[in-house]
Amino acid sequence: MADTAPRDLQQRLEPYLAIIGPLAMIGLILLFMAVAEPARYFRASNLNIILLEAALYMPMAMAMTFVITQRGIDLSIGSVAALTGIIMAFAIKEFGFPAWVALPLALVIGSLFGLINGLVITKFRVPDLIGTLAMDLVYRGFALVLAKGLVLARFPDLITELGRGRIPGFLPIPVLVGLATFVIGAILLRRTWFGRYSIAIGSNPESAEMTGIAIDRYKVYAYVLMGAMAGLAGVMLTGKLNAIQATSAPYFNLHVIAAVVVGGTSLFGGRAYMLGSLAGVLLLSMMINALVTLRIEFFWQSVASGVVIILSVAFYTWLQKKDRDGARGLINSLMTPDNFKVLKLGGALVAVLLLLTAVGMLLSTGSVPSG
Amino acid sequence: MAVQDPIVSMRGVTKRFGGITALQDVDLDAYSGEVLAIVGDNGAGKSTLIKILTGVYQPTSGTVQMEGKTLSMSNHSEAIALGIDAVYQTLALADHLDPASNMFLGSELTTSILGFRFLDNKKMRSEAERVLFDRLGVRLKNMDAPTESLSGGQRQAVAIARAVYHSDLRVLVMDEPTAALGPQETARTLKLIEVLREEGLAIILISHSLDDVFAVSDRIQVMRRGRRAGVVRTAETSRQEVLGMIVGAAEEAA
Repeated sequence: MADTAPRDLQQRLEPYLAIIGPLAMIGLILLFMAVAEPARYFRASNLNIILLEAALYMPMAMAMTFVITQRGIDLSIGSVAALTGIIMAFAIKEFGFPAWVALPLALVIGSLFGLINGLVITKFRVPDLIGTLAMDLVYRGFALVLAKGLVLARFPDLITELGRGRIPGFLPIPVLVGLATFVIGAILLRRTWFGRYSIAIGSNPESAEMTGIAIDRYKVYAYVLMGAMAGLAGVMLTGKLNAIQATSAPYFNLHVIAAVVVGGTSLFGGRAYMLGSLAGVLLLSMMINALVTLRIEFFWQSVASGVVIILSVAFYTWLQKKDRDGARGLINSLMTPDNFKVLKLGGALVAVLLLLTAVGMLLSTGSVPSG
Repeated sequence: MAVQDPIVSMRGVTKRFGGITALQDVDLDAYSGEVLAIVGDNGAGKSTLIKILTGVYQPTSGTVQMEGKTLSMSNHSEAIALGIDAVYQTLALADHLDPASNMFLGSELTTSILGFRFLDNKKMRSEAERVLFDRLGVRLKNMDAPTESLSGGQRQAVAIARAVYHSDLRVLVMDEPTAALGPQETARTLKLIEVLREEGLAIILISHSLDDVFAVSDRIQVMRRGRRAGVVRTAETSRQEVLGMIVGAAEEAA
């Protein structure tokens, strides 16, 4: 009897683990910053910056949740955002389109790019990883061809309001837009065929096909949604900076994938957590802002994002393991002959590294200026 | 049931995949209120045959008829609409979805809100509970848990419930229903098959287990190397004879 109670507790907690993970990390960041830099981190203006940063990624994280739940991936979203932003900018600046036409135009163009991605994956049977990586090059190339080195700046109020406007005494407009996309995403996930079938496809593609689900069609839908949301992000980015150029939005893809994965949506498909993705977006923005507040060099952000992705995927994979047990089991599982061989290889590499360093130091002739 | 017409009959069905002939000129008849077992070695063409019957594959030549009308099904959904459904060996469940979602996968119940159609999760849940208990006598402890947390027998009950929910179901194909089950759950599944036969369904049972086949079937169709090796009445045959047909001993002796 003694050991049924904790197991029940664990079973009851299991569905919420995805939320607890990012929330715990958010708590840790808050706690750390409360000690390290409370004055600058918790200023209203700084919280506003965090929310504005997060808002940009919210629509994409919502759509990426569906794509990843279907066992897909979309690496082209940064380029789609930049290219749609630039096309919208040209429509406004060069062709004098009214903003209320250019804005939906950007969403439709983003959707079309998503449609192309979806067709490349489902009709040409190019694996999603390679397909969207290649399309990323294509979209980025078109953005560079169109805009050359130009920075297109100064946009109508509608665009800038969408990017950084604020309802007085309430939340910034982009945050409201981002939250609205998440509400729509949650409804799509729970209450529509699209959401239900996305889970079924990711959970077991063969089963989904046998029950008569049009797998390819629902995959295309997910990529179209992803493209539309990347287009929206392109507009929001343009509005936020009041400027756009071909090299904008370089790391959107990994940032959004990280947010979704940190939120507990499984890269192996079938497990979707809309609220987790929202928490993941907030977590990443808070983390990056914390690094900025601590005056840590910009380039460390890249290191931190990568480490967070690896740690959260490893953590959730460990959670999925059915036979996880205590520390003794962990140590035992490490003491296998295979692991000894890997350990020997690692040891040999470190030894060679040390040897080469030592030889280099011994024969050193002082520093040589590279110029 | 002696002089009744078959509900479905397949005539001269041939299926080729590229250069490989999986089925060669195969016939099949299934009658309402009867269990037809299909047995045969691995690669004998059992699965291909039922996949043609359930619309997953299309025959290279030959016909599938239902009550005398020739069917041309281009996918599984069309077969379901005609009243032919299957419970696969793999059960075709999405393990991350709850039992009710799985039961209605591919034919969800919907409700209209502001002119848009949304899934009616509440209704699907109550219907799933009702079908599982009323028709199969199964009650699940937790209807919200993902299907992966259920036992093998419960998972199978969900898969069968999905098939029998359609009130116009006429033919139910069961592919290796007991392969992954323990003795108790096997007995329960065989009882379930008898219940469904009493309800007037035509059941086509594919199995490697001659125990199961002799326990519930009325007729046995033996497949061998893509052809029909023979059809026998279960009451008038023996395991020996069926085994002989499966391995082709009779044919070689002749």
